[in-house]
This record gives sequence, structure tokens and C-alpha cells, in this order.
Amino acid sequence: MGLLLPKNAKLIAQGITGSEGRVALPWMQKYGTKIVAGVTPGKGGQELSGVPVFDTVEKAVEKVGQVDGSVLFVPPMQVKKAVEEAIRAGIRFILIGAEKVPVADASAMYELALKKGANIIGPSSVGLISPSRKIKIGSIGGPNPDQVYKEGEIAVISKSGGMTSEIALHLGQHGFGISWAVGIGGERIICADFADFLLELEKDFTTKASVIFGELGGTYEERVAHLVREKKIKKPVVAFIAGEFTETLPSNIQFGHAGAIIEGRSSRPSAKRKILAQSGITVADDFDEIAELVKKVIV
Amino acid sequence: MTLYEFEGKELLNKYGITVPRFEILDSAEAVPSVSPPFFLKVQVLSGKRAASGGIVEVKNKKDFFSATKTIRSKKFNGETPQKIIAEEKISFTREHYLSVYYDTARRSPALLYTIDGGSGVEKRKIEKYSLRAEDGEMGNIPLPRPLIDKLLSLFFSEDCVLLEINPLVESEKNGKKIWMALDAKIKLDSTASGRHDWNYPPRSSGHAPTLREIEAKKIDDGDYRGTAGSSFFDMEGDIGILASGGGASLMALDALIKKKGKPANYTEYSGNPSKEKVEKLTKIVLSKPGLSGLWVIGGVANFTDIYETLSGLVDGLKKARQELSLTIDYPIVIRRGGPRDEEAFAMLAEVKDFDFHIYGRETSISKSAEEMVRLSNIYKKIKKSGVKSR
Repeated sequence: MGLLLPKNAKLIAQGITGSEGRVALPWMQKYGTKIVAGVTPGKGGQELSGVPVFDTVEKAVEKVGQVDGSVLFVPPMQVKKAVEEAIRAGIRFILIGAEKVPVADASAMYELALKKGANIIGPSSVGLISPSRKIKIGSIGGPNPDQVYKEGEIAVISKSGGMTSEIALHLGQHGFGISWAVGIGGERIICADFADFLLELEKDFTTKASVIFGELGGTYEERVAHLVREKKIKKPVVAFIAGEFTETLPSNIQFGHAGAIIEGRSSRPSAKRKILAQSGITVADDFDEIAELVKKVIV
Repeated sequence: MTLYEFEGKELLNKYGITVPRFEILDSAEAVPSVSPPFFLKVQVLSGKRAASGGIVEVKNKKDFFSATKTIRSKKFNGETPQKIIAEEKISFTREHYLSVYYDTARRSPALLYTIDGGSGVEKRKIEKYSLRAEDGEMGNIPLPRPLIDKLLSLFFSEDCVLLEINPLVESEKNGKKIWMALDAKIKLDSTASGRHDWNYPPRSSGHAPTLREIEAKKIDDGDYRGTAGSSFFDMEGDIGILASGGGASLMALDALIKKKGKPANYTEYSGNPSKEKVEKLTKIVLSKPGLSGLWVIGGVANFTDIYETLSGLVDGLKKARQELSLTIDYPIVIRRGGPRDEEAFAMLAEVKDFDFHIYGRETSISKSAEEMVRLSNIYKKIKKSGVKSR
């Protein structure tokens, strides 16, 4: 199984009894996501919005059967342990919501995912949503995702959770709906990146084009440019890269996301825009023109 | 967080990597006990220190006083050095370069090495070795394994995101060959601070932090839920910024600057912070003199409670008036959406003593930037004519 879960996918939620999990759980259920069990160590036996809570992932899977994935509402310092536990129990799709997960932990989780053939989204992912499949994993779209995420043919992949919804809103205001939208997180080390999603979207028949939202720092945008040039990504991509103003300020300052820091020339927004444009990707100058550019690339 | 050279060297020492003997001189009067020749090295966070005269060799005692005086009167990339170290002179033949960091291209830790280090190394060819076990490149690093092991132990145990040694040299001590780190640049991963007892005073890379920056960074202390002000940077403009979201804040400032607006600061809050955190950040943003507008800008939030955070804004505005005796008569443009936004807008409509201009999701961030610039220009014009007529 890949990053794009099938309709009726069954999930467990780790850390569900925490303040964020409690709020997000009914939102996900209302949308149609099938959350079959919750896991919080020491809280086994409780029930939350009709979902049974277990002490461990192993016990949960034993009771409800194998699941398609796990969504984590676990605090940052416990994330790595929770991911290891899920993978040990045979789970191969994990979405991490927590911000401020140490870089070393993120890198270790990515290594583990590679080794075990697992797909991890995050850390710091706002979630994954697909209106036609009635799947909403994480807090993406808040309590009323329908206001922003209309069913359609455009995928949105964003380093920023807030901007994931903002792009969907903008597209919706111009008559475009969403096939998939995901926040991949703005951390220095993330697990699934833009390219991982774009490669899977190549095979997704509902998606006609993608919009990616990048920013200063890292090389994840660069990888997209390479794969487009190598013709591994063929569906049209419209890119928006934020943070050009930071280039006039001293380098080595962190802006918002942990990965948003200029270290070396290629991590500058202007360098990213250039390499993306050179490989044939449509780069938006102004956020408000994204929908217009999407219209152009899908005809 | 970036460490000063002396802090980095203390860590290297702790993990058994030899560094030259050094002493910290924290006042102009301090005299080192080592005898010349030695180096005076300013402790600043920006690079290219040697090129700007931050490293001076002292050949005899007489030279010391004039050398400290010159070096202390200088600024390095805007930073005035608080501390200087006096460090023994080491003889060596070659300058190697080594660094360990997280390589986003492979999403794993990696090591960079060249035998051809020293200044200007960024222009030369450097080999990259993956540190991911199954890539199997560790064995290819042309340095002694015990040295590599110590460096990696430091990198991982201390949660570094960067460990750079330039130069790394081979020297002799008591007739034995020994590897020595003559410089150290270490960046720690602040998100991992919960599992360490780091006790480093606040600092900002590349420039001396302003009081507002220091205050803003304190807001998140001891409360991991949501963040407010952990990124704060003073800028030269007159429009105060209270942005939400890492991505939206960047996009918003680009948009404002494109519309010829001048931000007074960069900052953001996100991840559903408490009302109190937003209140504190509001006060810090408002404390900047000469504002002609406040832009409260964010996208359509997924999780952040808009009623809570905008209540924090109102509390901050009111307290800034009371406690800091600020007038706050300039336009305040708010553009936001998300959970409980309708309640939030109803609450704001009841607040009559500020010049609010409230927009929801129907107005784009770029459009709201345009509106902010327009209103702040009108405000400035009125102010100017008001002064003239007096």
C-alpha cells in the first residue's frame, strides 16, 4: 500500500486521548474516515466517540484486525517510539501530526520506513484528505473541510499546513476541486516528500495536475525538478515558492518551520524557482494566479 | 541554536576530541596566563571571522594590549563580540575540513570531508559520505575510525544538526601524532532541548538579537502546545506583523513587500497556541515605535482556534494601551479563517476602540496586503498633515 489510501481504509489513532486527538477524532469520523481503534498507554479499556482505546498498538490490532494505517496525535518527544511500535505491529502507513519532533528522530524514522517498506507522512503534517474517497486523516480542513475541499481533479502538496487549505480555498473559488491534499511538513527532515507524492499521483486516475507549495530551506523542491526532467513525473505541476524576502536578510535565521532556513545557495527561494522553471514546471509569481495557471496546464 | 566556538570546543573536549588549550577573556582587562605566541579569536556566530580581522596572532606580551583593543572595537557582521579567547598556537602541516549534518537530499545524516580544508573550502571539491548504515559509505571515509566514532558520538548524543570542524589538523603532542580541532561550529537542534540540560544563553545567528527578539523567544518556554514568537525578527518598516503559520507568514510578507509595504518585523504563531501566548506576542509586536499599521494575517486554519487566538490579540491590544501607554490609532487589518471564525468575527465587531478592518476567506492574502498598504499610507498622510497644521 502506498501513500494514497483506498476508499474505506481502516485506521487506528495513536495518542487519541490527548487534547488534539480528542478534538480531531469526531471531525475525522464525521467526514467518513474509519477510525477503528485508539491507542494510549495506560488508557486501555476506555471508549472515545465510539472508538475503543487500547494500551498498545499490538493489542489494538489483535482485537480489530490488521489496519491500513495509523494517525499519530502523540507529543513530539514520544513520536519515534510510537512509530516504532506501529511498524512492529505491521502497520505500513503512518501520518505524524506533531511539530517539534527532533531532527534525529525524524531521520531515524525515515530510515526505518525505508527498511520496512513503510510510508510515513510528516512529522508536522496537518493531514491528508481526499473528498471523493471520504478520507480525512489528521486535522486538515478542521471541523468543516467541505467549505474548503471540494471534490475534483487537482492535488495539493504543501510544506505548510495552513497553506494547504488556503490553496484548496483559492482553487475552489475558481471552480477547481481537490483529488488529494496533503501537508508534508516544513521540517528539516521529512519522510514522504513532494516527489514521493507526485510519483504516486502519476498512477492516480482522479488527478490531472498538482499544485506544490514550497519555501526556503532544504532540497525537496529540487528533487521534483530532477524527476520532471527525467520524465518520471509527467503530469503537470504548478509550483509556488514562498519566502523570497528572506534573501535580503542575514542567512541562518529560521522562519517559522524548522526547515525554513537558508543554508547555502540552493536553499534560497529564488534558486528553487529557477530550477523548477528550468525543468518545465509552471512557477506562480503571485499566489492569486495559481488557479489561472492550473487552467492553462490542464488543457 | 548555534554555539560559539568556545562552547563547541568544550563539547568536543567532553567527547575526547583534542582541541588547543584556550582561555576565555570576557572583559577588556582580562590577561591570559598562556605565554605568547598565541591567537586572539573573537567569539561571534557569523562565519568569515578571519577575513574580517577577528583572529589575531599575538607574538609577544607587548602586542597583546593593542591587539585586544583593536579587536574589541570591531563589529563582525553587526555583532559586537562579548567574549574573546586566547588560544595556544598549534603547528601542523595540512588543514582538513570535516562536517556532519542532515542532508535533505538523502533525508539522512551525512559527512563532508576534504583533505584540502581551511578558508575558501566552500569553493573546492568536498566528498559526501552517507551515514545511513545500509548505504555502507562509512568505511570509505579516509580518516581514523576512532576519530570518526568520537565525532559521531558527539553529533548524535548532543542532538546536533551541524558539527563543522575547519580546520581539522594532524599535529604532534609529546612525540605522538594527534588529531586536533582548531575551530568548531556546532548547531544544536532546539526541538530536542527537552532531553538535554542545555544551559546556553539566548542568541541570534548572524546579528545581535534585539530586545524584542529575545522577549519573543521566551514566550514558548515550558509550554510545547502551539508556538508564538519562536521566530521573530525585527525589520526596518512601519507595518507591524502578526502572522499565523510558517508558510502563510512567508507568503504574506512577500505579498506585502510586492505591494510596496514595509514590514516592521517578521513573526508568526501557529499550532493552536493559547490566548496568553498570542497576547504576549501582540504586545511585543506593538512595542516597536513608529508603527503605521498592524497586519494580522493568516490563512484558513485547520486546527488553530480562531476565537481563542483573536481574543489573545484583543487582550494584547488593550494591555499594550494600558501597560505600555501606546495610542494605537493606526489601521489594524485582520484576515483570517478557520475553526470558530464566525464567533471570533462577532467578538471583534463588539470591540469599538480600535480601527479594525476585518476580512475573512473571501478576501485573499494578497488582496488584504494591498488593503493594509493603502490604509497605512492614508494614516501616514493624515499624521503628516496633522503635524504641519499644529
